[in-house]
Amino acid sequence: MNCLAVREHLPELAIGVLPEKEQAAVERHLQWCAGCRKEAADLGQAAATFAFALAPASVPRGLADRVVTRIRQAAGAPGSRRRMRAAAASTIAAMVAVAGLGWGAVMAGKADRFAERARVAEQQKSVALDQFRHVLANLGNIGTSLPGNETHFGQLAPTSTGRRGGGAVLQLVSPTMLDFVIVIVNGLDPTDTSALPYRVTLVNAVGDVLKAGRITRLDANGGAETFHQFQNRDLRGFTKVVVTDSSGEVVLRGTVDQSTGA
Amino acid sequence: MEGLLAGNEEAVRALYARFARPVFTLGLRLLGSAGAAEELTQDVFLTAWRKAARFDPGRGRLSTWLMTIAHNLAVDRLRRETGASRPTLIFVDEIPEIASGGEEEPLIERDVALRALTSLSDAERRLLARAYFGGLTAREIAESDGVPLGTVKTRLRTALIKVRRANQGKERP
Repeated sequence: MNCLAVREHLPELAIGVLPEKEQAAVERHLQWCAGCRKEAADLGQAAATFAFALAPASVPRGLADRVVTRIRQAAGAPGSRRRMRAAAASTIAAMVAVAGLGWGAVMAGKADRFAERARVAEQQKSVALDQFRHVLANLGNIGTSLPGNETHFGQLAPTSTGRRGGGAVLQLVSPTMLDFVIVIVNGLDPTDTSALPYRVTLVNAVGDVLKAGRITRLDANGGAETFHQFQNRDLRGFTKVVVTDSSGEVVLRGTVDQSTGA
Repeated sequence: MEGLLAGNEEAVRALYARFARPVFTLGLRLLGSAGAAEELTQDVFLTAWRKAARFDPGRGRLSTWLMTIAHNLAVDRLRRETGASRPTLIFVDEIPEIASGGEEEPLIERDVALRALTSLSDAERRLLARAYFGGLTAREIAESDGVPLGTVKTRLRTALIKVRRANQGKERP
């Protein structure tokens, strides 16, 4: 999409009504085009100002205290984080499963022959879908609230050191929600307990490293899932995903494509 | 913002004092009930705390950032709640000015908004209201009014530029 086409969409982007598909393309353009970014900021500022034109309503008494309390709870309550974790992980995993993305790759390495690998992948996918449907049924609207253009997908492949296994990565990179990453691995050696714990890290272009998960046990298929939600960290640019074993050797590596949605 | 990042209560209360009323008002007008507006207000300040690291003063004002979060959260909620009744929209210049309740208010932003509104024609104000407060896309408006899509987009852009010009030099950071 060139500047001319992008600028045609900027008024709707500023007002918050640009359809999702166009929004993803425009956002990609804005990442590198300073001129359009300036125009978008100007129009966004104008649109936001419009909200102040409403006749002011009376704010309920005590709301300030309730806001402060809620932020305190979010900052320190492990229970609330666990609930968010369960909801977000299930939802994202379901999106992956329903979209049929990369399950063959996720399961790669657990079977030698292609036919067997495909059969096992299909079987696992079917089981996972049943679990996800059950979880989603209890989540109400949460499953529909994650914008497709803010979720990004990548695959993990074995390195020459690891030589086995595979995986998939999903990131939420959002301006209005807590960013998170889910990593699913499979086909690692379940008998090699000395390799545990595996560590998942994210790396950006300038070499900044974020801890993104720790795997302390593998199932019988050498599989595991990690979830990490970042309280005050923007995952934009953290596209490289690395899985290391307990000795620090890189066993899986991959890249998340943040230029497109999952 | 450093205080907000650290979860400093004083910083949260300062941000609240400045923006709670416009955020709550936007929630009330878009979502139609005080309960939903209060939930939205809590969500907005919680999100602001969580996303404080992403705020870049070089790319926009604090008021823009916060009201964009509020608008996005409200529109998302409206879209999720099918069948939700749309509230009646009332603009500041259509009713008598309400006296301050003693709480610190963003008077400058309101003043700027009033100035911006007077720079628009009635048709432009209605158009912006249908998109911003009604959540209608340019295509939906074009189909509803029977006018070309390009015309609606041009009018939206013209109206926003007028608002922007009216704002210039009148805002605080």
